[in-house]
Amino acid sequence: MTFPLYDAGLPLRPAVCDTGVVGAVKPLQRTESDTEVITGDAVETRRPWNVVVWNDPVTPMSVVVVIFRKIFGYSNNKCTQLMMTVHHEGRCIVWSGERGRAQTYCVKLQVAGLQSTIEQEQ
Amino acid sequence: MVGRQRIFVRRRDGRIEVRLNDVGRSVAREAFGHVVAAERDPNHEWHVILNAPIDPSNDQDDPVATLNREHDTSTNAELAVMTLNDQFLNDAEAWAWLCTLQVALRSTAIANGLLSDEKLAACGPELLDYVRTLQAFLFELADCF
Repeated sequence: MTFPLYDAGLPLRPAVCDTGVVGAVKPLQRTESDTEVITGDAVETRRPWNVVVWNDPVTPMSVVVVIFRKIFGYSNNKCTQLMMTVHHEGRCIVWSGERGRAQTYCVKLQVAGLQSTIEQEQ
Repeated sequence: MVGRQRIFVRRRDGRIEVRLNDVGRSVAREAFGHVVAAERDPNHEWHVILNAPIDPSNDQDDPVATLNREHDTSTNAELAVMTLNDQFLNDAEAWAWLCTLQVALRSTAIANGLLSDEKLAACGPELLDYVRTLQAFLFELADCF
């Protein structure tokens, strides 16, 4: 069984109207980032926080993969990809989201002996 | 054909067998002991390394987060010390060993300025041997997870 994506009778796209007939409808506002929420006149910015892991020359690669898998529960392939990004680029964002959780993940990584920090997305 | 002797082996019952000899265990004891001491002693060379910033854009980190880090690092190191002479480790104990060995390895590297491959290659033979030994432990232990 399939479900219609739109209610029957509604247009698929909002109609563009300059006649003033639909005066009550406010024009769509485009925000600079998808995470900005427009509430009345105020714009609340909710940029995500990133957990960043930094490269170091002594940590064995397989250890980094095991730590990522244990802490984040990612697949082996994803952990290996993230580890290779850290290795080649010097740093890698391994998780993004709410500040409190980012901080918790960062602490877990530090307890496991990896160099990590958090930063808010620009 | 001679097989390579492994240091850590995952057994069929799920436990991890530790096949370190006395010399190997003394290296692990030294590493674990340094981490325990560094957490307790603010004057320890590694204390600052264990208290690295979480959010560098802030002047001060969240005290709850730093307290959690201190608690978890100490718990891991103390569990590793307590199980140092055990022949078999369960998953939690093996994870404590892995974390504490990794903390010791990275702290050793930072304390000795080994911040690049070139500096690591140029360091003294005794330090390089110690770093390579910890890396070998970690490499084998990681293989059990």
